[in-house]
Amino acid sequence: MTAQLIINGISLGAVYALIAVGFAIIFNILKFSNFAHGGFMTVTAYVGFLATRFWHTSLLWTLLIASLAGGMLGIIAELVAFRRIRNNKGPVIYYFVSSITLGMLLENLMTIFFSTNFYAYPNFFPVATVKVGRLLLGVPELIMFCISSLALIILAVLIYRTKLGTALRSVSYDVDTSGLMGINVLRIIQLAFFLAGFLGGISGVFLGISYTLYPQLGQLVVKGFIASVIGGLGSLPGAVIGAFLLGIIEILLIRLVGSGISPVFIFVIMLLFLLVRPRGIAGSHIQEKA
Amino acid sequence: MELLASVLTFTAINVVAVTGVFILTGLTGLFSLGQGAFMGIGAYVAGLMAVKYNFSFPLAAGGAVVVGLIAAVIVGLPTIRLRRDYISLVTFGFGEAIAALLNQSVNITGGAMGLSGIPKQTTLLLAVTSAVICLFLVWGFKCSRYGRQCLALRSDELAARSMGINVNQVKMVAFLLSAAITTYAGVLYGFYTTYVEPVMFGWTKSAEWIIMVFFGGINSLTGAVVASALLTGLPEILRAAAEWRIVAYCVIVLLILNFKPTGLFGEYEISLLSLLRRRGNRIREGEGS
Repeated sequence: MTAQLIINGISLGAVYALIAVGFAIIFNILKFSNFAHGGFMTVTAYVGFLATRFWHTSLLWTLLIASLAGGMLGIIAELVAFRRIRNNKGPVIYYFVSSITLGMLLENLMTIFFSTNFYAYPNFFPVATVKVGRLLLGVPELIMFCISSLALIILAVLIYRTKLGTALRSVSYDVDTSGLMGINVLRIIQLAFFLAGFLGGISGVFLGISYTLYPQLGQLVVKGFIASVIGGLGSLPGAVIGAFLLGIIEILLIRLVGSGISPVFIFVIMLLFLLVRPRGIAGSHIQEKA
Repeated sequence: MELLASVLTFTAINVVAVTGVFILTGLTGLFSLGQGAFMGIGAYVAGLMAVKYNFSFPLAAGGAVVVGLIAAVIVGLPTIRLRRDYISLVTFGFGEAIAALLNQSVNITGGAMGLSGIPKQTTLLLAVTSAVICLFLVWGFKCSRYGRQCLALRSDELAARSMGINVNQVKMVAFLLSAAITTYAGVLYGFYTTYVEPVMFGWTKSAEWIIMVFFGGINSLTGAVVASALLTGLPEILRAAAEWRIVAYCVIVLLILNFKPTGLFGEYEISLLSLLRRRGNRIREGEGS
């Protein structure tokens, strides 16, 4: 029984990890919490839905279309909401307000265009569950876990093994110096937004599949936030670890106290965790520079 | 007339809430996305006290503010000493938790059905008086030692700390005061609409207030008040645009952030003193000529 719960928790955690990493990439580069990430997920979930509705795409194509749309959205978001602030060297607070505003804007645009109706993705999976030994595995969850893990592994290779990734890491370490070293900072920031949007697209479709589609879907981004707080703000491995932990804790809590009240317990756990280990599991201390 | 009175009352209630947010966001530079939850606490606690136990309005309001303060201490203590972002993220989670709590405790709060039958005790007079009192309170806070320390730590936390300002304490004071005022705004709201439901107090509410503070100018209380009056009053009168209201908000704020980052009023404050001084100058100039 416990093994079953933990497996369910891990597959839930994989989706949370996508959200948390997409969020952490932006945090790493520009040092602010990107509240527009939920908006990215909502929009891409609808884009994926429209693709299935009009072109009857398979799961992989849906994912690809949605995540490319997410990537484009990320680049547009950077242009519309963040570029001028960066050029003006505005304080971090402005990025922050800008991202909150953008998130609200996207959510409300979705409400206007699609009303508050609920839509459902078509069923991509012919078989709902498979039995491995005594464990019952849900096929959608299993596939989500595989695709999420694959996306995260590719991302890790990109960040830690390629030249582009080195540039990304150096910009996240120090924007000005890496600019002096001949890195095109603007391109790297665009890349970061593209990656964040791309991951947001995958998670948007997955959330759309697991829940139904409604304009406030993006508010599930709170799970990603909690995961990155637990993991340590700005740390990519931390975000992944935090997300898996959160997934397991959440599944256990749903079993123990029910799904309605579990957010309260998760919140309390997060507070206690911050009391004990303020920087999260893997977080390095980010000192605000004078 | 009825409509005008209701618009004015809502505006006054919003002014109360926005002054609370102003302390936190405008003065201290912290973002709480859980202010809506504090409003919910205010509305629900006071409402329940009145509906179930027949408390009078002042007692219910007092009780609600105390509960709001307790909640603020619980949320604030672990988070206030961390990086700014944690405060927004944790308060965001706090909002979710409160919403879940209100939705789940069906036999106490009525769950998603909402809580109805709160006596209608907020009048236009009470709302406006509360708004004026809160304004004076916040004005005093801004001019006090604490207010100036808040400004210092907003511009540069490290420098403020090295000048001997107890940053954590100042943040906590700002957070508590802000929570108390917002809770009170929730009490007013609950006792005006006589009906509250959990969805009213989500993070969009908090974000709306932050937007109002920014719209008016981050360091200007005058701006915050003008913005909340403009952004609450106008759409209520222009009902047709209601659906696009928030979209318009967002676009305006993005434009302001991009092109006039200091907001409508920037640092400008209307003050009696400066008005008098300007008049005094004019008189003196008159004497000179």
